[in-house]
Amino acid sequence: MPTAASSTERWPGSGPPRRPGAAARWRAAPADAWHAVVDAGHLVAFRAGTVRSRRVLVALAAAFVALTAAAAVVPAWTPGAGSGEGHSLDVLLLLPTAMAGFLLLALVSAVVSGGGRELLARDPAAVHPVSPTTDHLGALVLAPLNIAWLLQAWTLLGSTAYAVGPGRGGADLAAAQVGMLLWLALATALAQVVAWSLEGLRRLRGGVLAVRLLGLGVLAAGLALQATGRLVPALDRGPTVPVLGGLVGGPGSRWGLTVAGLLVATLLAVALGAVPAHLAVRRHPRDEQGSETAHHEARPLARGPLTALVRTDRASVWRAVPMRRGLLVLAVGPGLVALLGGLRWDTMTVLPGLVASGGALLFGVNAWCLDGRGGRWRESLPVGPATVFDARAWVLAEFLLAASLLTTAIAAVRAGVPSAAELAAITATLAVVTVQVVAAAMRWSLAHPHAVDLRSARATPAPPLGMVGYSTRLAVSTTVTGLVFSGLSRAEGWALPVLCAVPFLAWSSWRLLRTRRRWLDPVERARVVLTVTA
Amino acid sequence: MTSPRPAVDVRALHVRFGEVEAVAGVDLVAYAGQATALLGRNGAGKSTTMRVLAGVVPPTSGTARVAGHDVRREPLRVKQSVGYCPDVGGLVPRATPWEHVQLSARLRRLDRTWRTRPVGWEQRARDLLERFELGDVAHRVTAGFSHGMGRRLSVVLAALHEPDVLLLDEPFDGVDPIGVEATLEVVADARARGACVLVSTHLRELAIEACSTVTVLRGGAQVATLPAADMVGEDGARAYRGLLD
Repeated sequence: MPTAASSTERWPGSGPPRRPGAAARWRAAPADAWHAVVDAGHLVAFRAGTVRSRRVLVALAAAFVALTAAAAVVPAWTPGAGSGEGHSLDVLLLLPTAMAGFLLLALVSAVVSGGGRELLARDPAAVHPVSPTTDHLGALVLAPLNIAWLLQAWTLLGSTAYAVGPGRGGADLAAAQVGMLLWLALATALAQVVAWSLEGLRRLRGGVLAVRLLGLGVLAAGLALQATGRLVPALDRGPTVPVLGGLVGGPGSRWGLTVAGLLVATLLAVALGAVPAHLAVRRHPRDEQGSETAHHEARPLARGPLTALVRTDRASVWRAVPMRRGLLVLAVGPGLVALLGGLRWDTMTVLPGLVASGGALLFGVNAWCLDGRGGRWRESLPVGPATVFDARAWVLAEFLLAASLLTTAIAAVRAGVPSAAELAAITATLAVVTVQVVAAAMRWSLAHPHAVDLRSARATPAPPLGMVGYSTRLAVSTTVTGLVFSGLSRAEGWALPVLCAVPFLAWSSWRLLRTRRRWLDPVERARVVLTVTA
Repeated sequence: MTSPRPAVDVRALHVRFGEVEAVAGVDLVAYAGQATALLGRNGAGKSTTMRVLAGVVPPTSGTARVAGHDVRREPLRVKQSVGYCPDVGGLVPRATPWEHVQLSARLRRLDRTWRTRPVGWEQRARDLLERFELGDVAHRVTAGFSHGMGRRLSVVLAALHEPDVLLLDEPFDGVDPIGVEATLEVVADARARGACVLVSTHLRELAIEACSTVTVLRGGAQVATLPAADMVGEDGARAYRGLLD
């Protein structure tokens, strides 16, 4: 005799099971939101706990606080700061554009990563009751762990300090920086709202095409504004001008209103972001699913082992949605900025390094994870480990070079005809930074392998703090290289840039060969393969 | 009369990962035309032993010879001789099954070594894919494959080149009855042509069906080697249970 009604039975006198009404959901919303915040805290603590060394974590946190404080304060005490004339005035006039630029960068970063980085990878998260709101908050927390975000934020804080100066015992500076920090938070939250909305749109039928058309439309509008000379006036009419006006006058009623407005807008944007996050998560990512079920016609057998391995690695890179999307944005974004800004050949040498660094962060810094769990089978194939290494390094190099060349080609449109020295300098830079980044990426891939599922656009090849470390080191080394060749591009003739490239190439090649020798050690190789396929 | 040379000859094998000793003194001998099952609990060292035999992991100490080649000194020769189905995954996510087959064929130079055979490597690959019901998805990337499909393809890749030593690590895990049947056929075919087969699995009944000999590992070491017939039925289950504790 049954003692309880089954789940498919109705209780006597009860109606059909009903979904909670809108009113009930509305009443539960505050509790749900609070749970999401608490869960985000748990996930942050979990991720922080996976950092191998607590000392490193504390040191990184301290460095972050110290650098941010230094960027926000030190420039205010440099000569000419806050004078309201000369460089200080120039910086003040450029600040609204810089603020808009920060918003644009945060937006591109969040959109490309399909709603921002994930605190917990998709598969492990699937077994836990993690709400989309928690996911959204996690992405917001992780957004600053990105060298592009950090550099822009520090530049903005430093520029503000220089433009405002100490003023009234530091009160004006403190007031301005409080507002600027709120702007950083607001821009990040707004970017997240847009990113989730576009991700939701992308997951609708025809959404991928719609997002691409939208992107092209925005691009065309930007180019049209630039071509007609209306870009700067448009930026001047943007909301960043009155916001800045409210922040730089020192503490007062206008400042109070501006800060309150920024605070409210930030909180609203953070809350609002949860709505498109929920809508997006309910739908499947169409482009990822499309690539995972795609058919590829058979090609003739490769000519030799190296060609066969290169072909397999190339397919692993170019068939991945995150790689294609990331590379396109990395290549086109800086190229367009250079195009709109009318960058000259002598300063263009900075671009290839930045683009190659960004490209390496898509998979190169953990290059052996490209095979996923197929790494174990691949390691059992009868081919020398040197050939395997050569194929992977080659595919990484061509991936980075493709992006850098595209950026340079776009930037070159308005740069005119280069001199022999300029042409030699940009060519040498392309070669040097490619080898430099490949050598660093292959070295880190061997030293710090991670098991990562790179199917999701939101996944990163290494943990967030590791990514900050990698991006910082790559950005510094390649920027220095770019600046060196920028100076050399002003030389007489092409010989000097080419000759100076030789020691750079020799040093990076030696480091690459050293990593290759380490890869040949079967114990080292087994450690890497077993880790990335775990 | 001299005894035949073993196809797999493992002596005092130790494999250490940092402080963890995954394999602690395994001795294993397997002959051509014989199928041996490796049984044992999780963490017994079965998969690590298989990885050593496949040339994926070098031994920390001890010796392991596969098809007459030392895994430490001649890893490439070993890899030429074995077909390996790893315990997890085993597939490159953004490559199709046919691209996996092509990569294996290229690196094993099957286009040259199989030229004189009545059935070429391509026909052999097609037959295997059809037998494992993967013919329809031969040109689809494997990222979207189910677990069972992935296992079946891993067995196809291991058996493709008719290796001297066939290493199947958990080949039945999550595989449907048709895939199980096809895998048993592959094992039988390999034995019939004189290959040595090692099957690591948790499924005792299937191990008995596929193999003639059973080796039980516990705590990284070998505890018994006995005929598969001794593991049959309730008595066999009790005997196996007794070896695990």
